[in-house]
Amino acid sequence: MTALKVIPQLLCWAVLVPVMSRSLTGMATAVTAAAGFVVGVAGENLLLAYVGGELPFRPLRGVCGVIFLLLWGASVWALYRRGSKGSDAEAVSSPGPLAAGLAASATGVLAGALTLCRLAPLDGGAVRLVPYLSLACAGAVLALAATFPARYLPERLAPRGIPLLALVVSALMVMACSVQRLDIFSPLSMEVMKFIHDFVHQFFESMLIPDHPFFRSDVWGYIGLLFSDKVGLWGGLALWYLPVLFIALALRLERLPSVAHIRQGAARRKLLASFIHERRLRLVAPLFALVLLTGAAYQSRFPATEYWDPKPVEVTATPAGQIVIPKKGEMDLEDGKLHKFSYSQGGRQARFFVMLTPAGQLVTTLDACAICQPEGYGQAGNAVICYYCKTLIPLETVGKPGGCNPVPVPCSVKGDAVVIDAMTLLNTWESTVQVTAHGKGMGK
Amino acid sequence: MNKRRWLAHIVFRALVHRRGRTLLLLAVLTLASSLATALGLVSASMRARVAEETRKYGANLVVVPESARVEVGSGGLHFGAIGEPAYLSQEQFLTALAKSGVKGDYSFHLEGALTLKGVEIPCEGVDFAQVRRLSPWWQVDGDWPREGEVLGGGDLTPRHHVHPGDLFEFGGGKGVVRTRVSGVVTTGGDEDDTLFIDLKELQEQMGRPGQVSEVRLLADPGNGSLKDQAALLQRHLSGAVVKELRQVGRTSEDLLGKVQLLMLLVTAVVLVTAGSSVAGTMSTTVLERGKEIGLMKAMGGSRWDLLKIFSAEALLLGVGAGVGGFLLGVVIAKFVAHSVFAADAALRLEFLPVAVGVSMLLALAGSVGPLLSVFRLDPVQSLRGE
Amino acid sequence: MAAIIETSGLTRSYGDICALKPLDLCVPEGEWLTVMGHSGSGKSTLLNLLGGLDRPTGGSIQVRGTDLASLSEDGLARFRRDCVGIIFQQHHLIPYLTALENVMMSQYFHSVPDEAEARHALERVGLGHRLKNRPGELSGGEQQRVCIARAIINSPRLLLGDEPTGNLDHKSTTMVMELLRELRDEDRFSIVMVTHNQEVAAWGDRTIHMDDGCLVREERIKAC
Ligand SMILES: Nc1ncnc2c1ncn2[C@@H]1O[C@H](COP(=O)(O)OP(=O)(O)OP(=O)(O)O)[C@@H](O)[C@H]1O
Ligand SMILES: [Mg+2]
Repeated sequence: MTALKVIPQLLCWAVLVPVMSRSLTGMATAVTAAAGFVVGVAGENLLLAYVGGELPFRPLRGVCGVIFLLLWGASVWALYRRGSKGSDAEAVSSPGPLAAGLAASATGVLAGALTLCRLAPLDGGAVRLVPYLSLACAGAVLALAATFPARYLPERLAPRGIPLLALVVSALMVMACSVQRLDIFSPLSMEVMKFIHDFVHQFFESMLIPDHPFFRSDVWGYIGLLFSDKVGLWGGLALWYLPVLFIALALRLERLPSVAHIRQGAARRKLLASFIHERRLRLVAPLFALVLLTGAAYQSRFPATEYWDPKPVEVTATPAGQIVIPKKGEMDLEDGKLHKFSYSQGGRQARFFVMLTPAGQLVTTLDACAICQPEGYGQAGNAVICYYCKTLIPLETVGKPGGCNPVPVPCSVKGDAVVIDAMTLLNTWESTVQVTAHGKGMGK
Repeated sequence: MNKRRWLAHIVFRALVHRRGRTLLLLAVLTLASSLATALGLVSASMRARVAEETRKYGANLVVVPESARVEVGSGGLHFGAIGEPAYLSQEQFLTALAKSGVKGDYSFHLEGALTLKGVEIPCEGVDFAQVRRLSPWWQVDGDWPREGEVLGGGDLTPRHHVHPGDLFEFGGGKGVVRTRVSGVVTTGGDEDDTLFIDLKELQEQMGRPGQVSEVRLLADPGNGSLKDQAALLQRHLSGAVVKELRQVGRTSEDLLGKVQLLMLLVTAVVLVTAGSSVAGTMSTTVLERGKEIGLMKAMGGSRWDLLKIFSAEALLLGVGAGVGGFLLGVVIAKFVAHSVFAADAALRLEFLPVAVGVSMLLALAGSVGPLLSVFRLDPVQSLRGE
Repeated sequence: MAAIIETSGLTRSYGDICALKPLDLCVPEGEWLTVMGHSGSGKSTLLNLLGGLDRPTGGSIQVRGTDLASLSEDGLARFRRDCVGIIFQQHHLIPYLTALENVMMSQYFHSVPDEAEARHALERVGLGHRLKNRPGELSGGEQQRVCIARAIINSPRLLLGDEPTGNLDHKSTTMVMELLRELRDEDRFSIVMVTHNQEVAAWGDRTIHMDDGCLVREERIKAC
């Protein structure tokens, strides 16, 4: 299960290393990258173990942001250089061994740290020893083994210079975005949204247009488009893709070599054709980077966090119409996790869960809230999430009514059992679900 | 000239050179993709419509006298009625309801007809208070009727110049009813060409006091399944039939399903035929062009180059036919929806890629065999001899 | 002078029929070789082998230092586009393309189409005024000249002709042969040409006679 979580990252890593070792200095690069990976894994785990909290994640996320900015800079530079000098594609020489080693180890460290974060427990603390060690080994082995496929990678396909940077950065972005706390795509789109929002406000204010009266309502409809969350997404996506698109554009716009001096037509055409072919091959790296970035954005949009979501256990009521659930029966109600139950009588049915809040109180709530479709809740660390609107609700507030909180059901603790009135439960469920089902499509 | 443009150019020239065959292929592919589009369009819009029709019913049970008219279909999917009118006594229903223990809100309906200036208009006797509760979606322009007033259907306005507030004299019953139209109701269904009149008044006019032709019942679904409740009620009601109202929706759904199945079959057959005819045409073309292919290979074209040229040809045909097929499909869908369902099929652009995809896939699938022979063709053999 | 073609023990058999008996042939760079022989003596077979259109069943064949037998299918295609130009007796022009486009087709397979260059090539063979005509609208001699323009457009080192003048009258034949000589003198490529016509053979540097798949006689016309 744990192994599955890091497969995308390791896949990225397994693609990245051969390309890097082919484009840089071969075997040495792979070894450096492997060492870097191990160091990254170890260092991040140490941070997790001894510092804890948000601190191990913050700087990592910062670094990711910085390298993304770096990519932006590089892409603009690539476009600019193409415009100013024209074609000297051959001038991109391979970097010296020192620079190559530095790049490889830096990438390795980052990749290692990012991958480890995926395994970091939600409630803090370090990764346990076995997954930790096996991750370090897997990364190192993958990197070393990568020298083998690297030999079969055609020289012409190995990206150099800025395209290589694009590939590396986008692979790292995939790794980062699969960890929610390192994700930089959603903050990016959030910022875009905020920026547009502020800009529109400032704009109208500076033009001294008091907001509503002068516009017909449909005009406001269009302006409203600027505020929808789609704008953030699309704007974010644009910023996300643009650098790589710029790089691809710079490659595509590289001028054809001057062939006027070649007298023989066939030789001239051959040269042109081979140049065009090479140029197309060089586009492969940025296009692959685009695919990776898409993967990253997708992971950020639809994070693959697993929620604790047990199957509801069927319960029955006593003849007196009471549902009695022992605290320490088949399951331990007081383990801090939510426990789902379902109760049905006649044609009526209700789903609810029982959990111990951090305040030490056993609460019973419906598996539905008063405003959303009753799609239920799952638990992630110290919050439960409403599957319908994806709101995280801190455990402290579970059991309190309002908003998207699960609707509380009165219960009492008698001895070592929780007792709920079946009729109240069914009625609460029905009144809740009727309201929410009626308000279908109205949003939150 | 750019290589890709050149490819497009020669493919186009080759297609134009064999005009007849190209047109034939285009026609076949267009037909296939248009049928697929039409199928998709009709199912999508009809499904949406049927869902809406079914949702519109407030009541979930309907009680009609035995051998009464059976309405087939509903609303826009109305297929007429069969049988002679029969009636049900209000008393009988109420006692049955009390005995059976089924709880719920109900409304009485009596169907009849009155004449306005000699023209017969369908009318329905109802208790307005009941109807108002059970049919919250009715949009009334004007006011709900008070004592002695009536409600007109939306379609009566253009037909008989019925407007809210007008005074009319209706004949055709025992006497002349002089009454004011308090409002006009629009539902998008049958109600639009019906005149709603107070139940008592109509019963009197038709000489059928205490009798109704239909009772709609909104049984509380909390008291067990609808089917059980219907059975319970049925036990106490002889001479009447209790039906779940969903059945009405289901009839149209059934019909829709059948039409869909039929179209699916036709489309499948057409797709297969089209595929094989594409394959046949393509292979004759390739056979005929053997010499040309051999020549291209002799000039230095690799097998992949040749494959590229010929699949580009198939793809170009596919795209052209796909766009044409989409347009034709929209027309077919509109026709089918109009003539079979008496409804309108909405234009959905998302079916354009579907149409293009279908015809492209078909063109490619049909050319797999010919393409293989292009791939394998021996230049020496094909160039030899006349 | 370096050899452009070197074969040793080259054979090609179709089942029992041995179309080409073991053949040793050496063609120096820049030579114009004419192949003569009765019908069915294996001339076309030899030409197809030289052009990389066919594979030998035995022996080795080297053109410009590459062993054709060792090339893959795609390698052979690459060899054909880069190194040889072929002229056929039946012209084999693509019927739906104009003269110009027929020449550009060859450029397309070789590298990229270049209209100006193709036009220039057609002007060189004296067809500057018939660029936009389809093959069906051209005379046999003109078609053959288009064919030549197409064959030389990629500057091949070896030009193969399988009875290029077989369908032409005396006057056109002379014209085509003069053109070929002119082009060869300019571009210095080698020519291997099959013919039945003694007069045509006289244009070459050397003639070999074949019979039943064997080289039977060789005569030198000019010292090269
Ligand atoms: N595909 C084949 N299968 C069987 N036999 C073949 C095949 N191709 C050629 N041959 C035989 O090989 C021999 C040589 O044929 P080739 O075409 O080389 O003759 P040629 O010298 O070019 O004759 P022509 O002057 O008539 O063109 C002939 O006997 C022919 O029958
Ligand atoms: Mg021959």
